[in-house]
Amino acid sequence: MVLVAERVRQPLDDGVLRAMFEARKRVFVDLLKWDVPVLDGRFELDQFDDEHAIYLIVRGDEGEHLGSARLLETVRPHLLDTLFADLCAPPPPRGTNVLEITRFCLERRLSAPRRLAVRNCLVSGLVDYALLRGIATYTGIAEMAWLQQILAFGWVCRPLGLPRIRNGKMLGALRIDISAETPTLLARNGIYTAPALDLSDTLEAA
Amino acid sequence: MLGSSRSVAGDMFDRVDAFVRDVSDVQGEADLAELLAEISGEMGFSYFALTHHVDIRRAPAPAIRLANYPSDWVDYFDDESLGPSDPVHRASHLTSIGFPWSKLSSLIRLTPRDHQVLELAARQGIGDGFTIPAHVPGESNGSCSFATNAGRPLQEEHLPLAQLVGAFAFEAARRVWRVRHADSHPSRQLTDRQRDCVLWAARGKSDWEIARILGISHETVIQYLKRARERYGVSKRTMLAVHALFDGTISFTDVLKR
Repeated sequence: MVLVAERVRQPLDDGVLRAMFEARKRVFVDLLKWDVPVLDGRFELDQFDDEHAIYLIVRGDEGEHLGSARLLETVRPHLLDTLFADLCAPPPPRGTNVLEITRFCLERRLSAPRRLAVRNCLVSGLVDYALLRGIATYTGIAEMAWLQQILAFGWVCRPLGLPRIRNGKMLGALRIDISAETPTLLARNGIYTAPALDLSDTLEAA
Repeated sequence: MLGSSRSVAGDMFDRVDAFVRDVSDVQGEADLAELLAEISGEMGFSYFALTHHVDIRRAPAPAIRLANYPSDWVDYFDDESLGPSDPVHRASHLTSIGFPWSKLSSLIRLTPRDHQVLELAARQGIGDGFTIPAHVPGESNGSCSFATNAGRPLQEEHLPLAQLVGAFAFEAARRVWRVRHADSHPSRQLTDRQRDCVLWAARGKSDWEIARILGISHETVIQYLKRARERYGVSKRTMLAVHALFDGTISFTDVLKR
């Protein structure tokens, strides 16, 4: 099951999201050494974590964070049109039906098979969320190893620009086009798990 | 096409964008090889090799191999089972960024045998190369390499282009090989679409629900399942699932995992 959090005014006030921000700190700061702000030495969040951000979270049996992703509206400032504009050749895709996938995060302590299962659940959730909300395109930035995995899911991907080296890693920008056929494309690669999307009011909505 | 108002980088991106659109349509190996040969030449390379790093003659599953290296070299490579041990392949397991072969010694310790392999390749006309690692978790390691004729230098400005070409070409090869393997498997009798319908039926969905899930018409689903029943020579939906499970067209994991 994939929890969806939309229009959350004070994300740090919510227990589920706090666990997500802590996991993001473990992955993006401790492991990947990204140069991003950390709050209270525990939480990784930045200026894009506001009430317009959408979060998809995969949780375990005890409600613990297993994986998550953050979606940003492209009609507002996001990563590809601000911090990473050099990765995008034409103007970046923008529209109410275009969202940027950021902070795709899997819990470090999971075993490799479990991590792949959570990854597939989260990717399936992203597809189902897009179909539910009429999102036609996702954009995103990925390091090359992750980019190859993203292509291997089987959905329709196109590059948005030439890749570039940043802090010793090569990054590239992609667009992913979602249609009614996307679940099938993912199923053919053993990725689609048809998870249930939970849009419940566990979290405070606007 | 070089316009005076376009940057070189813009042209390179347009080229890779066109390549990606072309490979997304390919139906078979030959078409993919042709597209790779074409873009290799444009980047100043004479050779390309897109491959899984396995012993091709003993690999249990069909291994990807698409290359236009001189055939004598390919034969030697396979006779010596160099797939897993080739120094370029070994180096590609340690990085995700494309690298020129001149940087090999900074990635791995080159043994005398490695030097010999590189020298033999050069004598076959394979000069400087650039390799893009391609690794999908759960599958064999692989790469896409481009090489010049011995004596010709690498054109370094094409490397970001080669990086994307390698990544997208490898995924196109995965898709082509998956389809090809499915067709050549003797027990696999269904088309992709028929199989999709059988799988959802095995998961308990009605024809109408399957139509909604796959985004096709109700009538089309009825036809696909009818063809599938005909191929297996059965008249019942349940027997269709049983036969498809029996011959491995679908698996219990496919049906039951959520």
